[in-house]
Amino acid sequence: MKAGVDVGPTNTDAALLDEHSRVLATVKVASTPDDPVASVQAALGRLPRPELTQVAVGLRGAATSVTKRRGLRKVAVLRISGHSARAVRPLFGWPQDLRAAVSAGTEIVDGGGGLDREDWTPLDRDAVARFAARMAGTAQAVAVTGLFSPLDDEQEHEAAEIIRAELGDLPIALSADLGSLGLLERENATVLDAALSGFASAVAERLAATLTGLSPGAAMFVTRGDGTLMSLEHLARHPGLSLGSGPASVVRGAGVLTGLEDAVVADVGADRISVLALAGGFPEEAVDGASIGGVSVGFRIPGLIRVPRPFDPAELAEAVDRLQPGAGRLPLVVVGGGAHAVREGLHPEHGLGAGAIGAAVSPVGGQYERIIRLPDRSALPAAVEAVVEEARASAVRAGADPRHVRILDVHDTRLAYLPGQFVRVRARAAGPPSRL
Amino acid sequence: MMIARAAALQALEDLGPVHVVQPAELDPELLVMPVGTAGSSAVMSERIGGTEEPVHLRDKIEELYGIRVGALMASEIGGANGCLAVAWAARLGLPLVDADGMGRAFPGMDQTVMQLRGIAATPAVACDERGRTLVIDHVTGRWLERLVRASLEAFGGQVATSEYIMRGDQVATATSLGSVTRAVELGTSLPAPLITGKVAEAANSILIEGLGPDLGRLARIEAESEFLAVIEDGEPVAVVPDIIAMLDTHTGEVVQTEQVRYGLRVSVLSVPCDPVWHTPEGLRLAGPAAFGLTGLPAVPTQGSPTQSSPSAPAAPSGRAHSPGPSGSPCRTGTPTSPAPPTSPTGPTGSPRRSGSPLQSGEREGAS
Repeated sequence: MKAGVDVGPTNTDAALLDEHSRVLATVKVASTPDDPVASVQAALGRLPRPELTQVAVGLRGAATSVTKRRGLRKVAVLRISGHSARAVRPLFGWPQDLRAAVSAGTEIVDGGGGLDREDWTPLDRDAVARFAARMAGTAQAVAVTGLFSPLDDEQEHEAAEIIRAELGDLPIALSADLGSLGLLERENATVLDAALSGFASAVAERLAATLTGLSPGAAMFVTRGDGTLMSLEHLARHPGLSLGSGPASVVRGAGVLTGLEDAVVADVGADRISVLALAGGFPEEAVDGASIGGVSVGFRIPGLIRVPRPFDPAELAEAVDRLQPGAGRLPLVVVGGGAHAVREGLHPEHGLGAGAIGAAVSPVGGQYERIIRLPDRSALPAAVEAVVEEARASAVRAGADPRHVRILDVHDTRLAYLPGQFVRVRARAAGPPSRL
Repeated sequence: MMIARAAALQALEDLGPVHVVQPAELDPELLVMPVGTAGSSAVMSERIGGTEEPVHLRDKIEELYGIRVGALMASEIGGANGCLAVAWAARLGLPLVDADGMGRAFPGMDQTVMQLRGIAATPAVACDERGRTLVIDHVTGRWLERLVRASLEAFGGQVATSEYIMRGDQVATATSLGSVTRAVELGTSLPAPLITGKVAEAANSILIEGLGPDLGRLARIEAESEFLAVIEDGEPVAVVPDIIAMLDTHTGEVVQTEQVRYGLRVSVLSVPCDPVWHTPEGLRLAGPAAFGLTGLPAVPTQGSPTQSSPSAPAAPSGRAHSPGPSGSPCRTGTPTSPAPPTSPTGPTGSPRRSGSPLQSGEREGAS
């Protein structure tokens, strides 16, 4: 038996499923304001209590923490770029209050790369150490962003080591772990990831205690923005990965409940309808990047269109059409607590608890992406294979069983208008939870 | 926030406002330095640029010419380069001329009014943010383009350039005038759209299906790395070199050609280009045939010569120049009324800074 929980802003849903992913029971309780762990406890407490092998929870707390500027850590923001990225400084253009809540200080040091080896400059190790020393006592976490780190993240690791030597065991977020080319968006994502580290470790710790009390022996997971799961330890290390996880598990649940791999999903909540796309069984990502709390970020999170309630049917129809790949090609699936308010579309049984069900049925995931310069086209298969291996390893680090990890998809995209042959290779992997 | 716009805002915040001057106010003896960057937008998204590029460009130009630089000008007002010129004028503490080289954006470095007016393209200077500098001399505009493009590999995919350098007294007759003013005006009031609707097809050609007041209409758009023509009922409604832009109806932001996808709600609008582009020489350099469009009947434009489709030289291949869209609207020359509004009440988009290649942000990230 496994359970899934989805902590929403108004209500918290929980679902109990058997090992064939059949829904045995669902419950809905009012969410405890500002306390996702208490909401999880209340909802799980109302489910029948068989022996659970797995509990997966969608917290939605990370985004709230950013938008309400609550529980954020002070971050020392280090950019490794030298002159190549000074035109816009770190955190420029952030909402004033968010910058005040998050920034312990920023610095740009020499170093960073280019498209080819000859264009890399050595990291100014002394400058990194001086910055770290200056941040001692104020910074609670560190964000490191290296120029062209999606090609090579070595200098980010080198800087992290220097910082650790100076400041001890602070959470350090590295940009290459979080995003792709696009320095400012990747840096913003890295800073938010670092800022959320306090929230994430506190929640992970309380959640572990609560779940251990409720169902000892169950493997514990939280949802992530790509529709997969990760362990609580992984959440504490990479809190940014949980951004967008609420809508992502609703989309996963809608897919599982209808047996569809591709659809447009309307999640009808009390105050608004979120419209998203299900593609290949997982949520489709925001096409042109995402924005959280007024900041553009390079996180890979689901694209969605919000329609406020009470809604204009024409507005909803338009939102659905905008997420279609072509006119009327995909079915509409309507789920969520307010699903009855929308007449059209498929209304699957247990659609009220789609988020909780999506959490319960999802695999543990990982992904990896690199920009690679190919000496020639024949080098592509080896490059792809290396990325696939990293994706597999990433899923295992997130808590997947290494024996059963499979690759969900691999994409290689040639980057246009660049001197030389560059490809962006990205792989996603997922597998059942490890029971270790 | 797009990079060039952010760079301009940061420079203005740090260094104070930029003085925009008319050509008549320029010192006739001092140099005017057109500036811009060339290269790949993927590289620029990562290597966002430094603060010293304009300093390196200016120092080298003053050394080459033995004359001081008195003002900056945008090589092209459209795309990222329109904003970058503001940032760099602020960095140098020099005025920015209310003019530019194109009156819009074009993919080729030589597609400038200066080229049409016989201003020499070289000596020209290319450099990167670390001051690594290349001087190019004794070549035409086309060869300048070819050499700069070749240098991009060595420069890592992005380079700052200044070419068609003039004296102050040449600006009034050799550039597209009033560009900065018009960009600011367009940022607060856009012309009525040609059609408002949704993208009904984006795979092969782009089809726009009219919605609201335009219900029942269907327009086809020809596009490469910029929007080249709008065709309705077999008749061209707007054609390059006039400016064609697509705006996201929900955000008012510019939609670039590679961002067009099914379902987007958009307004398509056209802004007349500088009349110089409708002259036979202008059309040869930047008319439909220069972009590989042939067989289009002439578009009646108001206040400018009827355009013909001369058999023009081969199209500029690829884009070594602006990474930005040609679709960033700006209008220059004597005011001519925009293409007749076909929709009485279409949305005009929200105010924005013209000239910056804004990404469409209609889809929010989940939270």
